[in-house]
This record gives sequence, structure tokens and C-alpha cells, in this order.
Amino acid sequence: MTRDWWKHMVLILGTIIVLAPFYMMVSYSFKSPGEIDRGEGGFFGRQEMMIDPRCVALRQPDRADIEAARTRFPSQDDASVQASLLAETKADCSMRPVVFNYSKAFTEAPLVRYLINGVIVTLSIFLIQIVVALPAAYALAKLKFWGRDAVFGLVLFCLLIPVHAIALPLYIGLAKLGLTNTYAALVVPWTISVFGIFLMRQFFMTVPDDLIDAARMDGMSELAIVWRVMLPTAIPALLAFAIFSVVAHWNDYFWPRIVVTGNRDLFTPPLGLREFKGDGDGSFFGPMMATATVIVTPLIVAFLLAQRRFIEGITLSGMK
Amino acid sequence: MAVLDPCVASIAKPKNGQARAGWSLAFPALTLMALILLVPIIVACVLSFTNYSLGNPGFDWVGVQNYERLFTRSTYEKMFVATFTYVITVVPISVGLGLGAALLVHSLGRIGDIYKTIYFLPVMATLLAMAIAWEFMLHPTIGMVNRALEMACGTWFEALHFFTNGCAKGFPLWLGDRDYAIYVVCFIGIWQGFGFNMVLFLAGLTSVHRELYHAAEIDGARSGWERFRLVTWPALGPTTVFVVTISCIRAFQVFDTIEAFWPQGGGPNKSAYVMMFAIFEKGIQQNLIGIGSAITMLFLLFVMFLTLIQRWLVERKVHY
Repeated sequence: MTRDWWKHMVLILGTIIVLAPFYMMVSYSFKSPGEIDRGEGGFFGRQEMMIDPRCVALRQPDRADIEAARTRFPSQDDASVQASLLAETKADCSMRPVVFNYSKAFTEAPLVRYLINGVIVTLSIFLIQIVVALPAAYALAKLKFWGRDAVFGLVLFCLLIPVHAIALPLYIGLAKLGLTNTYAALVVPWTISVFGIFLMRQFFMTVPDDLIDAARMDGMSELAIVWRVMLPTAIPALLAFAIFSVVAHWNDYFWPRIVVTGNRDLFTPPLGLREFKGDGDGSFFGPMMATATVIVTPLIVAFLLAQRRFIEGITLSGMK
Repeated sequence: MAVLDPCVASIAKPKNGQARAGWSLAFPALTLMALILLVPIIVACVLSFTNYSLGNPGFDWVGVQNYERLFTRSTYEKMFVATFTYVITVVPISVGLGLGAALLVHSLGRIGDIYKTIYFLPVMATLLAMAIAWEFMLHPTIGMVNRALEMACGTWFEALHFFTNGCAKGFPLWLGDRDYAIYVVCFIGIWQGFGFNMVLFLAGLTSVHRELYHAAEIDGARSGWERFRLVTWPALGPTTVFVVTISCIRAFQVFDTIEAFWPQGGGPNKSAYVMMFAIFEKGIQQNLIGIGSAITMLFLLFVMFLTLIQRWLVERKVHY
């Protein structure tokens, strides 16, 4: 331990740099605009009551309000009634900065909708990838047929193509089909995971042939073998692939940015955050960082709970 | 998928049955591969020789005019400079840091796992959210980075040229400064990617046999450096080749940070106008499909070239 102190020094320095933006993101999501501007308040901020200026501006008492409130404040002139009403409004509109930031994050934009969209898109991508890739992987690993080597060669070639790189022709195709601004546009380009086919094929190669022959003896069709014999053996590999796929598409910003324009109902979480940034003024740093925290948290928490599996999944591509 | 009748599995004619089952199981994957990966490349290739725009009924063939523009206009010169600056900065540093961190973490044993977890966090986090967090950190007046730098004013740090300048005339604008902008983006790329490389190297390190170190020690390799040079480095050869390639491909695809910082124009004086952003801006925002396709083709060429070099190196490499 004493011999290793310099290693710890170096690694702790790295830790500070790695964690700095996370620290700032979470800290700003707790603080009031004033504290952010002046750079004070430590990590949590002082959490003094603050008044939401927009809320006050929206509920400015007008003539009718003053008339209505006259009974509650007998024997006062208009000006003082107005002042008392304003004080009431301010009291209603004041809250702790942390409540302000997080409630704004969910009310200024339909953040819940964005999160649900994120879940819908990532899950449907993963499920379709599996439905398409597993039978193909099984065929390539366990069935002997003319042209199999050619098909596998094609898979190896397609591994070279990053889907982001061919975004433009894909976008043209989807636009021609009238599919931009639909869930389909967000999902379709990712339905084929060549990497998934390759990975599952490598895995299926290790499954003993006897198992498959026994299933055939029982009269199972090849398709049934895929789902009822091969799938259960492949659960660990599938889990790793699921993590790989879900992380990539939850965090993806490039593709949704291209095919979804303006239609907020289809925004994925990163798009929602981007929009927030676009129309945010200075006083909205807090709510924006709250949004960012909400978007980043699910994967980080899942990662911390199941680190080994996550690292396995994300670095799958390194196992070739 | 319903084409699979029971007789496919019949043992009497396994050859024929397997051929049919094989093709029909691989068919959906093959169709999608063709439609989503191969056809778009052909489309991009064809369109790169035209002046097509979405919404136009037809197009004219313009020969190699689009490519000619790519190599003569100053905008595209800036694009190549920005892209290669990014790749050449990010790849060596993130691979180097990844290897360094992996060696340190590995030598610390179980305690090292904490650092591994922390360094992997940026890989999991939504890059767009973290880019926005970094943007706040780098804010010229209220950002943490410049505030921290200002604290060094008045101490011996001021003897350094950078601090003398900064304390007198203000510290850099970072994202608004055309000399710094691309390097700030590089820094964030490294920040995000080195943990991924570290984990790949760690996987490589655990597969190095302990006996090799003992053997090297008996042969006279006493210092840590000698052991690294004679045993660790050669053993990590295949991992290194893979890490470098995947870092290159990821670096070529940088987009999120640049779009988040400069939604218009790709940085001060186009100093961060990378290829993915150019495809997005020209092809999708400005509807200049011809030129966008030409950039796409060049991009594919670079990426495929890199991967082919990697495969060649891996096959040629003599494993220990």
C-alpha cells in the first residue's frame, strides 16, 4: 500500500477530472439561479426559499382579482389590497431550488413522454434485432447449406459499415417512403444488427450438436429449435448484447436528430434535452441540469448495480 | 417465417431440409442487410455524381464535380483539417491513457476496481448531456474551469506564460476561441473514451499468463519496464490493434459534442467542422444531397480502410 501511493495519486487526479462534470451537473440541479451565477453554495446549495419569477408574472393580480378579494381585506384601499395579493402570490410561488429545478424539468417540457419514447425505441430495437439475428445466427452456426460461407462473408463485410456513416442515404429512403417523424424512422435502421448475428453465431458454435439432434428427433422444426432450444442456452450472451444495444440507443443523439424534426411527441431523451438548451435563458441552467441528471441516471444506476455485466456488454465488440 | 413445414426437420433428407431451413432462417436478416446496409451505399455512390435534392422531380449528372469541390473549396479543407486533428489527437492520447490506467489499476488488485468503475462512468453517460455539462464548466465567466484558473492568479503559477496572460487579459473563451475550440472537443472525446479503452486493456492484461513474468524474471528482466517491454506489451499486441481501430472509428464519427456546442456552422471559423457534422449540415439541413453523398463515400472509404488494416495486422501478427 505505501509503495503504491504514487499510483493512487495519479488515479485520484484522473478521478477528479472524470467526475467533475457529473459533480457539476448534479450540483447545479440543486441550486438556485443566483447561486449558479455567483458560484456559491457548495454542492447542495443553501436551499433557501426562492420565488419563481415566471409563476409570479403569470399570476399578476388584475382588477377583477382585487374586486374579488375586497371582502377578505376590509377597509383597505386598492393599492394595499393589490400589495397583499401580490405577497400571497409570491408565497404561493416560492419553493426550494431543488423542487423548482426538478419540477420545471418535468413541466416545461414533456420529459416523461421523452423518457417513455426512449424506452419504446430502445426496447423495440432490441427485440427486433433478436428476432432477426437469432435465426440467422443459428443457420450460420449449425445448418449446412449451399452458400453458407458466402452469407457469412457478407456478414463479415457488413461489420465494416457503421450505420451512422450511411445516415444520409437512409434518411433519403425514409423520406421517400414518407416515414420521417415516425417511430418507424427511429427504429428501422437499427433492426439489423450484423454484430449481433456475428456474436450469436460465435456463441452457437459452442452449443453441442447432440442437443439439436435430440430436438430434431423429437420432431421440432428448425424454427422451434431456435426459440426453444438455442435461445435458453444463449441467455448470458443475449443479456450482454441487450446491454450493448440498449446503452447505445438510449444515448444515441445523431440518428434521432436527423429523422425527428419538430414533432415533440417523438423526441427521445437526448433530443428533449437539446431542445431545452435551445430555448433556455440563463435562469434555466438549474432545470436543464435537472433534466440532464434525469436522463443520465437510469443507465448509471443500472451500471453501478451490475458493473461486471455492463462492462462485459459494452466491451463485447472487443471479444472477437 | 411460416414457410417451415414439419418435413424440413425430417431425418430422411437432412441435406435438402437443412438447405431450405438455412436459407429461410437467414432470409429476413439477409433482406434487411441488403436494404439497410448495402443499398444505401450504392445509392450514396450514385447520388454523389448528381446534383439531386429531396423534393426535386429529377436530377442532373454532374460527374466528379462534387468530389472536385471537396478537394478545392476552403470549407472542405477546414473539414478535413478538423476531422484529422480530432482523430490524430484523440486516438493516441485516449489509447495511451487507457493503457496507463489499465496498468495502474491492474497492479493495484481489488482496490483498483473502484477506479475502474469511476473511469467507466463517462462511457455509460449520455454524451449529449455531458457535453452540455462541460459547456457550463467551460463558460468563460461563470464556469468552474476559469474560476479555478483564476484562483491560481497571484500565486507562483503566474510565472507560467499561460497564467500571466490569463490573469492580465482574462482566460480563454474555450469554446468561443478558434485556437482552442477543436482541442476542447478533443479533450471531451478523450474524457469520454479512455475508460472504454482501459477496460479492453484490462481484459487483455488478465489473459497474460503469470508464468511468463516469472520466466522473464529468471531471464534477467528485473525492472518493471523490462517486464512490460518483454512480456506485457507483446502480449497486448492484438488488444492494442483492436483498441486503436475502434478508437479511430469512433473518433471519425464525432458529432454530438459539436452539434451541442455549435448548432450552426461547426465552431468558431469552422475550426470544428468535422465530417459527420458536414454530412448533417450539407446533406440534411441544406438539402445538398450530392455533396453530402460525396462526403459519405469518403467517410466510408476511410473507415473501411482502417478496419481492413486492422484485420490484416491481426492476421499477420504472431501471437505469443
